[in-house]
Amino acid sequence: MANGFKHGGYVGQILRVNLGNGGVSKEPLREDWAEDFVGGVGLSARILYEELPPKIDPLGPENKLVMMTGPLNGTMLPAASRSSVCAKSPYTGSFFHSIFGGYLGPELKYAGYDGLIVEGRADTPVYLWIDDDRVEIRDAGHLWGKDPFKTQKILREEIGDEEIHIATIGQAGERGLPYAMILCDIRAAGRGGMGAVMGSKNLKAIAVRGTGGVTVPNVLKLYNTALRLNQLFATSPAVQGLSGYGTPRNVAAMNEGGILPTRNWQTEVFKGMKDITGEVMREKVVKGNRACFACSINCTKYSVVSKGPYKSVINGADYETIYGFGSICEVDNIEVMCKADELCDEYGLDLISTALCIAWAMECYEKGIFTREDTGGIDLKFGNADGMLEMIRKIGEQEGLGVLLAKGTRAASAITGQGSERFAIQNKGMEWPGHTCRPFPAAAVGYATGPRGGSHHDIRPTAEKSGLVDRKTLEGKGALAAEVNHWLILCDSMLVCHLAEPIWGPLKISDNTIEALNVVTGWELNYEEARKLAERQWNMIRCFSAREGFTREDDRLPIRFMEEPVPEGPMKGSIIPRETLERLKDDYYTYRGWDLKTGNPTKQKLAELGLDFAIKDIC
Amino acid sequence: MAKVKVKTFSVIRDVLGADIIEIEVAKPETVGRLFDTLARRYGQPFREKLWDPATGELAPFLIVLNETIIRSTTDMERAIRDGDEVAILFPIGGG
Ligand code: SF4
Repeated sequence: MANGFKHGGYVGQILRVNLGNGGVSKEPLREDWAEDFVGGVGLSARILYEELPPKIDPLGPENKLVMMTGPLNGTMLPAASRSSVCAKSPYTGSFFHSIFGGYLGPELKYAGYDGLIVEGRADTPVYLWIDDDRVEIRDAGHLWGKDPFKTQKILREEIGDEEIHIATIGQAGERGLPYAMILCDIRAAGRGGMGAVMGSKNLKAIAVRGTGGVTVPNVLKLYNTALRLNQLFATSPAVQGLSGYGTPRNVAAMNEGGILPTRNWQTEVFKGMKDITGEVMREKVVKGNRACFACSINCTKYSVVSKGPYKSVINGADYETIYGFGSICEVDNIEVMCKADELCDEYGLDLISTALCIAWAMECYEKGIFTREDTGGIDLKFGNADGMLEMIRKIGEQEGLGVLLAKGTRAASAITGQGSERFAIQNKGMEWPGHTCRPFPAAAVGYATGPRGGSHHDIRPTAEKSGLVDRKTLEGKGALAAEVNHWLILCDSMLVCHLAEPIWGPLKISDNTIEALNVVTGWELNYEEARKLAERQWNMIRCFSAREGFTREDDRLPIRFMEEPVPEGPMKGSIIPRETLERLKDDYYTYRGWDLKTGNPTKQKLAELGLDFAIKDIC
Repeated sequence: MAKVKVKTFSVIRDVLGADIIEIEVAKPETVGRLFDTLARRYGQPFREKLWDPATGELAPFLIVLNETIIRSTTDMERAIRDGDEVAILFPIGGG
């Protein structure tokens, strides 16, 4: 390539910043690691496996925060806007990847870096200013305590450039709350406490300006692929509606199908649904769209509540907002959801975990486990919109019950007891998104075995949810879950957006995905080779968890999904009993060539994937 | 002839113009025939929401037929009767 790196799409350089000693270095990207792990999440997993000793404190200076791009970022390919932030998570205790869209990833690439590794801890608050070649660690004393949007505004003024892209934390990250997020311009690296890791380093923000470009082997070929993919995006039925309604396009349909999680997952039908649909949102609050870099799907909404108690300006709402601050807390007011979303962004809190923690507290209150005294006088029943908003503030400000809820439902229910762990909707410590598994066995085993627990980006229920496969049979569901893992992780290493799911997947890695990777890198991968890349990455992450002590026992589901069937609606009776889950796990591990007892990769599997270096650690 | 109610959401609702429409389905009175009838009445704007242009086939999605979930991929021969209610769960992806 023109820049001297062997493969297209890469810059060939990683920026490393040590906040402990102020060291800044630019290191060549290892070609063999790019070939074996592509970029993004896969590459970050390899780096962190190499550089982090096992069992470190995720909020200690030994942890590292890796922000990585993929080879496709910054090219004209649609939906290639994503970037990953990875570290050992203070929330799950293992490798974690949080993905965000927007513009920051391509900007980092244009500045001349495939990725950024931040290590150590600064003595006082700092921010990082990356201006192409020039990298400075600057004082952030004046930014500490400010919300992400104010921080971004001040930095743009201070640096004198409206066009810079900025990742920031809020108070939640500064305080090390374990589900603190990083706001990257307007998009969130929301999950798993990556904001807490950033805060633990006294790193308030990362501001980036880049004026370079990305080199590919054949621009005309790239153009043709981009054109074809854009046509597919425009015409694929499953992608339609995202531009018009955003991700809440399916709220009403999901409710009709009996899969809209409601009342802390006590049921999956919400009677107040008609007031929180994508249609209502568009009519009442949406003012326009804000697409990510080069994305023709253009799903992100910009919404304004211009007056009244819920006055707010947000980017969204996304489906997860509607689920979290709508049906799951039984609130049927779209303006409240906007306010809740804004508050989470201002504090720098992961919206899904925040909402599920509050829903768990509502159920504790309903069952008499919490009293008004515990809630600080709030009548915290389901449906109390103002009570819900007040609880977000309490979590953000670390007041009263907010201190307990900020620990997450796993820790909070362990402290509270009285059976409250039975309705803590988490696995591996992470609260669930709004996509059910009770009627969907492949999704169930995918969630249970996923490295992040409650993440709908380690598995997608779409194949079962759309009827593409028979949801009722258990046969073949281990294989399906594994192949869905593969297309997801390959996309997370290329860093393309999962919302183009029918184009990249949805059952296994598609020809489109392989073409997009090949056309940028100049590789000539066939399906088997692409699948092996993905399988290697998935196993690499599993090795990280295994080295931390995770085993088959950790591959669980929230207790409610194993004990309580859906009580009403078209999916009435759906449940994944424990024995079914164990059977599905056997099926999944067997398909993967993992040890049935430990649930971890075998020596043979690691050797086959070129991960021999991990054998001594986990076998 | 079976007269059925069709519930619609999101982009399908945009094309059909109402939350619920009533439509008569001629013999053979099946779910497949219902979708053909809808496609004839609402034309290309309806077709392009549910038929994949790359394959020419109906996209995979779920349908609720009187509280029972059925699939576009396997259940188009299912009989429908006068007074039935059909909800089209427009191809559902994740958020
Ligand atoms: S589909 Fe939406 S979230 Fe994904 S890249 Fe495009 S605009 Fe961003």
